[in-house]
Amino acid sequence: MITAEQKPLDEIRGTIASYQRILVLGCGSCVAECAAGGEKETGMLASTLRMAAKMEGREVLIREKTLERQCVKDFVILLDDVIHEYDAVLSLGCGAGVQAVADMFPEVPIIPALNTEFLGETKDQGLWVENCLGCGDCMLYHFGGICPLARCSKHLLNGPCGGSVDGKCEINPEVPCGWQLIIDRLEQHHALDRLEHIYPPKDWSKKQGGGPRKIIREDQQR
Amino acid sequence: MSRLKEILDRGAFAVTAECGPPKGADPEVIMKKAELLKGRVDAVNVTDNQTAIVRMSSLAACVLLKNQGLDPVLQAVVRDRNRIALQSDILGASALGIRNILCLSGDHQRFGNQPQAAGVFDLDSIQFVQAVRNMREQGVILGGEALSRPPDIFIGAAANPFGDPFNFRVVRLAKKVAAGAEFIQTQCVYNLQRFEKWMAMAADRGLTDKVHILGGVTPLKSAGMAKYMKNKVAGMDVPEEVIRRMEGVPSKKQAEEGLKICVETIQRLREVPGVRGVHIMAIEWEEKVGEIVERAGLLPRPK
Amino acid sequence: MEGKNTMAQLKSRSRTGAGKRHLTLALFYCQNTPESGEAERQALEGKYGSSLRLFPIPCSGRLDPIHLLKALEEFADAAYVITCPEGACRYFEGNMRAKKRIERTRDTIAQIGLERERLGMVMNTREKPKALGVIASEILDGISAFPPSPVFAKRKASKEKDS
Repeated sequence: MITAEQKPLDEIRGTIASYQRILVLGCGSCVAECAAGGEKETGMLASTLRMAAKMEGREVLIREKTLERQCVKDFVILLDDVIHEYDAVLSLGCGAGVQAVADMFPEVPIIPALNTEFLGETKDQGLWVENCLGCGDCMLYHFGGICPLARCSKHLLNGPCGGSVDGKCEINPEVPCGWQLIIDRLEQHHALDRLEHIYPPKDWSKKQGGGPRKIIREDQQR
Repeated sequence: MSRLKEILDRGAFAVTAECGPPKGADPEVIMKKAELLKGRVDAVNVTDNQTAIVRMSSLAACVLLKNQGLDPVLQAVVRDRNRIALQSDILGASALGIRNILCLSGDHQRFGNQPQAAGVFDLDSIQFVQAVRNMREQGVILGGEALSRPPDIFIGAAANPFGDPFNFRVVRLAKKVAAGAEFIQTQCVYNLQRFEKWMAMAADRGLTDKVHILGGVTPLKSAGMAKYMKNKVAGMDVPEEVIRRMEGVPSKKQAEEGLKICVETIQRLREVPGVRGVHIMAIEWEEKVGEIVERAGLLPRPK
Repeated sequence: MEGKNTMAQLKSRSRTGAGKRHLTLALFYCQNTPESGEAERQALEGKYGSSLRLFPIPCSGRLDPIHLLKALEEFADAAYVITCPEGACRYFEGNMRAKKRIERTRDTIAQIGLERERLGMVMNTREKPKALGVIASEILDGISAFPPSPVFAKRKASKEKDS
């Protein structure tokens, strides 16, 4: 899932200050899972903004709505009926969602309420951790299901570096050394000798080589 | 010609030191350090934006040292440059007569004075060693395209006998050697027992025959410095007895005690099988290097 | 009750005469609170009139901060939750979760300039848990000196309050 966190309220209020009719738009997918932009959070933000406006004596129309997903055209298009009642949309979607809505309705300013962060998992209630960089060339097989790009702070393919001490990363004692995790895992799988191999330089072109990436599947098209 | 390589190939005990470039554009700082080290060491490492703090570039400082008649070791981290820049710098270094390189990962950018910088890490240190080796041996860059002239450069890497997951330390050293490392400089040693164990494991694996290992030393200036290194520097092992020794003398005498410990460490390192030299990292204390080398009985340096 | 120092400030501000409108408390309560059945609820609402609106919930852990915010947005000068004593939650952690959520919601309202104390939580006592009516009365006393919520005050009254 994609994780995100709500922007500071001051920043959000600054970006919507010049609008009078605002739709606060939530997303029921990833951002709901990380408690940042789902229906609940959307309702709370809208309520808070309405209170703030009342306290300032400002007449602002603020309504909320939540789409199942903001990043899929078929859902975004459902806004067509209502979006033109508003002069701006405050979106609690991730960056992908904000842009998908903005591209569909370019005449309406779509303003982000969240800071999109990382690809990761819900490790535990209230805990989300990064574990994938979207490199386009998954090597998880080699490393026992632990990604050295995402979980090593220097994304080394032949780690660890000299700063790995007691299983912790040099940058922060709370960050586990990704390479310690890989070594432990491969030991568990009796495959530690796999790491005798010198892994060659990463092909970063699969991530960055062609600008913004695209996937086309003709068999999926109309 | 790499003097360091020549000394090591001969089987003589090598002495290298470290020189930190200034946080500015003043070449005089390097000249002064060159004067302090000339004739006392076989080669001088120049650090590469160590701790991710912006300093004069290692390559530039190496050229300044070379002009003073020293044999520089270009330290190059993979944190700040992608493979295009790294390979390009190798060609440039060789063209400028720099004959030694130490390929490193580099401290994470978070530690320095530009924590908002993007950490590059396009290659890791092992891939970097391998790339340099292939440039020299096969005359190609990554991907196989031929060079008009291969670089002439002696390749080194670093090793930390006190970091790394224990069961993996020697594997990592083996990988560096397999990639093409010809000399290794270790993190500074205070815990000789642990260092000797690591060397024994390396010897077991046949590595001490394949690569020249230089043990690192850093003279302690004070008990405070000893404690700082023990507690605040990742991958450092400073035993309690060293702290006690430093604390056991009045503060005015602590620098001298630190030098004593350093000299003793060098003498003990000379006895460890497989250790081919010593790398003296006298951080901002370069003026003591000559004295340390002399007291350790390593002067005069061989011709 | 929390925030005594700020309460003193609130009380001193209210002495400058912030208007005659009586305060309304929205009170959410865990249904395990003693004497909190339907009959008692109606009796209390009858007694306090528009000063008190009562909302039973199966467990304070089920409390969604949106309910508190909506109350503050629409009619309440203060919104409180009554939970079971620590360690006595029927669903084990409901009360602890409520505490964390309320704390976070207090941070949110503080960011728009609404006093944190308008949101609160009361954990019932372990030894002899108090009846709903008793706690309601205590909370109403506690908030009696609050100025009316700036969410409802007209612009003019807001200016008076600030001077």
